[in-house]
Amino acid sequence: MRTINTIDSYAYESRIKGINPGLKAIVAMAALLFCIGTGDVLVSVSVFLSMGIITIFMGGLSVWKYLALLKIPVTFLILGTAAIVVGISHVPAGRFYITMPGFYLYLSDGGAALAARLILKAMAAVSAMYMLVLSTPASEIINLLGKLHVPKLISELMNLIYRFIFVMMDVQIHMKQAAESRLGYHNFLTSCRSFGGIGANLFMVSLKKAGVYYDAMTARCYEGELLFLEEERPVKTKEAAAAAGYLAFLLLLWLL
Amino acid sequence: MSKKEKSIMKLATAFALTFGIVPSAFAMHIMEGYLPVGYCIAWGAVCVPFLIAGFFSIQKTLRENRKAITVLAMSGAFVFVLSSLKIPSVTGSCSHMTGTGLGAILFGPSAVSILGIIVLIFQAVLLAHGGLTTLGANTFSMAIAGPFVSFGIYRLCKALKVNKMAAVFLAATLGDLFTYCVTSFQLALAYPSEIGGVGASAVKFLGVFAPTQLPLAVIEGILTTVIVMTLETYALPELKAIGFTREVK
Repeated sequence: MRTINTIDSYAYESRIKGINPGLKAIVAMAALLFCIGTGDVLVSVSVFLSMGIITIFMGGLSVWKYLALLKIPVTFLILGTAAIVVGISHVPAGRFYITMPGFYLYLSDGGAALAARLILKAMAAVSAMYMLVLSTPASEIINLLGKLHVPKLISELMNLIYRFIFVMMDVQIHMKQAAESRLGYHNFLTSCRSFGGIGANLFMVSLKKAGVYYDAMTARCYEGELLFLEEERPVKTKEAAAAAGYLAFLLLLWLL
Repeated sequence: MSKKEKSIMKLATAFALTFGIVPSAFAMHIMEGYLPVGYCIAWGAVCVPFLIAGFFSIQKTLRENRKAITVLAMSGAFVFVLSSLKIPSVTGSCSHMTGTGLGAILFGPSAVSILGIIVLIFQAVLLAHGGLTTLGANTFSMAIAGPFVSFGIYRLCKALKVNKMAAVFLAATLGDLFTYCVTSFQLALAYPSEIGGVGASAVKFLGVFAPTQLPLAVIEGILTTVIVMTLETYALPELKAIGFTREVK
């Protein structure tokens, strides 16, 4: 829950927030696709480093905060990669194996190399995605989706959900504080009960608020279309050139 | 392999298992960049018919009752907030519920597919769980396969006149387990083992994620039941408004 506020606030604080969101999205997505498409080690390493540099030096995010965010997917990475490196079989196999009751665990031959490439690739992809989300507030990403002709209904729902998430978070924090101060979380069973109670309460509050917000929207002439103010962020020639240069560099790196 | 090497291997395995149990936040979202491009596109394509069905169902609801837009949005926000909360756990690990079982029971599986993909986008963008390229695969396992199973089981239990709370528990738990199986299968398809192919690989992925996912599924079942029980006690009018009690009869 801390993460939601952090990523969102980092995006608003970013020094490269002013750059056209479409341009940032194109660079991030192209770099991402380059990583997973080519699987090239050199491309992965350079994307990982360059995206980190953009986020930290151009965006002005502290290194420690960035590293803390990079740690989020590590659990999945470790478990998933362990499953790829280690094989199971009914007969002894591989260079190195241990006997378990009924089957053998072995280290697969190409596994370690594949895993190393995969970890690099995935971390590079994550850093490319971070470059986008740590510099572009979610509302601008939703606007981008609208420009890609995602149905209006969906982008409207997304805009509303994005706003309601923070409202609900706030309500939830207060409920949790109230429960905690009454020892609602002092052991596993009470925790389950408090959690369930908070969940149900949250749902009721959300439905009540939904009615109130609808009335508020109608009072402001809502007729089936939500309009949001969009800041104009024209692409500067210098930025477009830098982006094109960066992508050309990646292409070159892969070709060589 | 010498005795010493064996003991090192066993130690390493034990280390991997315990490490797996402790920080297990959102372990079943396939992370950004983990799937090859072909699989990203294929899973995305598989989701399309379900999403279109969900879109039409939402559109129909809104045409009948425009007020439903804020209710839908609040429901989406509710599922997101619920899934972002640390759930109580015995081992002191940090894990989260998917909330999709509850969503499927309350709103029906077709609406959940759309709410689910939106929630997954926000989880990627705001929480850095899951990713943009793996969105298709994650949507299929969490917003389509899981909810459909939950809903099916819930309906089946009702037809068989099983106790309602047991039905909710089973629906949420099995939906969660199914999500976990589908994700393991998705990973196995992308990374088959050298010996035994996709099947053996699926067993590996199931095994690696089992220590976190099995208890989580049971806890999700318990929490969902508590939530539905509380809602039935205190929020019948609200439940009626979203069509939950109409279904129950």
